[in-house]
Amino acid sequence: MIQLNNLTKSFTTKTGKGFKKSTTTVNAVNEVSFECKPGRIFSLLGANGAGKTTTLRMIAGIINPTSGSAIVDGVDISEGNDEVKKRIGFLTGSTGLYERLNPDETLDFFGKLYKIPPAQLKERKEYLFEKLGINEFRKKRMGQMSTGMKQKVSIARTLIHDPEVLIFDEPTSGLDVITAESIIALIRESKAANKTVIFSSHIMSEVDLLCDDLAIINKGSIIYNDSFDNFRKEMTAPNLTQEFINRVKEA
Amino acid sequence: MNEIFIIVKKELTELLRDKKTLINSVLLPILLLPVLMFGVIKVMEMVRKSNHEKSIKIGLVNAPEAFMKLVKNDTLNQVTTFDDSIDFKSLIDDETIQTAIVFPKNFISQMDSMENSAVQIYRNGSKENVNGRISNLMDIYGGQLEQKRMTQLNLSPDKLTPFKEEFVEVGEQKELIGKSIGGWIPYIFILTMWGGCMLAGIDLVTGEKERKTIETTLSLPISKFKVLFGKAIVASLLGFVPALLNLIGLIVGLRFIDGIPDEIKMALNEMLSFQSVTMILLLLIPFSIFLSGLIIMLVAGATTFKEAQSKVSPIIMFLILPLVLAAMPGIEFTWATVFIPVLNIGLGVKEIAAGTIDMTLYAVMLLSLLAFAVASIYFSYKKFSDENAILK
Repeated sequence: MIQLNNLTKSFTTKTGKGFKKSTTTVNAVNEVSFECKPGRIFSLLGANGAGKTTTLRMIAGIINPTSGSAIVDGVDISEGNDEVKKRIGFLTGSTGLYERLNPDETLDFFGKLYKIPPAQLKERKEYLFEKLGINEFRKKRMGQMSTGMKQKVSIARTLIHDPEVLIFDEPTSGLDVITAESIIALIRESKAANKTVIFSSHIMSEVDLLCDDLAIINKGSIIYNDSFDNFRKEMTAPNLTQEFINRVKEA
Repeated sequence: MNEIFIIVKKELTELLRDKKTLINSVLLPILLLPVLMFGVIKVMEMVRKSNHEKSIKIGLVNAPEAFMKLVKNDTLNQVTTFDDSIDFKSLIDDETIQTAIVFPKNFISQMDSMENSAVQIYRNGSKENVNGRISNLMDIYGGQLEQKRMTQLNLSPDKLTPFKEEFVEVGEQKELIGKSIGGWIPYIFILTMWGGCMLAGIDLVTGEKERKTIETTLSLPISKFKVLFGKAIVASLLGFVPALLNLIGLIVGLRFIDGIPDEIKMALNEMLSFQSVTMILLLLIPFSIFLSGLIIMLVAGATTFKEAQSKVSPIIMFLILPLVLAAMPGIEFTWATVFIPVLNIGLGVKEIAAGTIDMTLYAVMLLSLLAFAVASIYFSYKKFSDENAILK
């Protein structure tokens, strides 16, 4: 379960010439509140720069909120990022893997930091390698792999500690349809395993395929938050993409 | 602690799989000094040999027979005699001759009447080999004339030498050589260390941004401090190890390369005793951490390797200038200089090499370097935690 209450993130930038300096504070995320339930897939929709990544990074403990709170799997992120991170699997379309390590070493590295007992880590790693078809290239360095291979390792890396909460930030961005399909399958399986899943996207076909609940974020603020069924019922445009565009324009 | 060790192991594995790092941090440092020493000795030998075998073209005016004989004794001297003094500058410029010696017309009579005379030597001050050989000839000829005059005057050489200076050296050879060349030793360590720390620091922070793995690293279930500290340890190691390999290279080079004068070899061996080396290495540990912290702090906001390099490159001036100062005579290792980083290492190593280090000052220097290391790690952590900088 993820609960966000008035979560806000401000960034301060310093600008100016010579001795005249001025600071500008921008709210990238402004008092965002929503709830993601276990066994359901929550979609966070928004245009580029709307605040999706900042929101997800705060939930994942990568950056700290300026104000507000977020409770992830019963842990308040303000109480300690490390505890939250242990309960989360975080995958983004642009998350890189360490190019000079191979899949075996990568998963060992993450597994050890998640403090998984060695025998359990070995078992989990073998299970994921088998399931995702990584065995044939498990000793190949990441830098020598295709995008598809890397994405499989990224998925294995995200799931190595069997997290209760899964966060996907535009996970299929830049991937071909076959590789994207593996991510979609993973999201579905996570839902079936009663995990809490939140993903951000601006690809409406993916949202249509996966979404149970959704929120639309625009300029850092939530402009819609309800179940996907209700969203469909309220639709006035002929398709999801047009409906999304209309709502963002009206906001 | 275990988590930091996991980070260190992973970062080291990654870095050591990079050929560039391996060459810069292992291969070059270990080979640099032996190759340099061997190269310098060989080049010096070659220059000496070729100078010795080179013939020189001498122009002579009014040269007395005894001098002429002396010049012609060396078959490498090509002599041209001139009747009168002409434009020797042009002749030297167009390389017709390399030097000209002009004796006055009445030189013989001046010598016979025991007068003072002046011999003009046209030369180019930059031609050391030619000038050296001519000076040598003049000294021999001057000596012959002196001897002749003393015989004529019935003077023994002792009478013209009222006293002789006899030096009693109380300083050890190690101290003498240590004070003169000990100041140059830190150049080797510190510049190698700087190179190692810089490459590793940039790769570990800016490199992660370029390879888009920084978000992955920040999502690890450990604190940013542990991530940063792990990276700083690796950057320090990649600075410290090349410095250590430099030292090993120097010791191996001294042992196996021929041609180094024995007294220098012995003094260097004494300077690089187990105690001296341990004391130098102890200083380099906190200093490498200080450098790594400083580099990470500077490159945390950079998004490309090039940008990072341009941010840290000017720092080298702050390393070289204190080292130049430390190598200068008159600047001593005192309470005034013990707290200035780099300068204190330069001066301290000089004292260690000479065997004259004050242990209280050494301990204070070590503590001050430790304080600088802690401060640089603190500030690099602050910068590494700055979301605006690290996720740029």
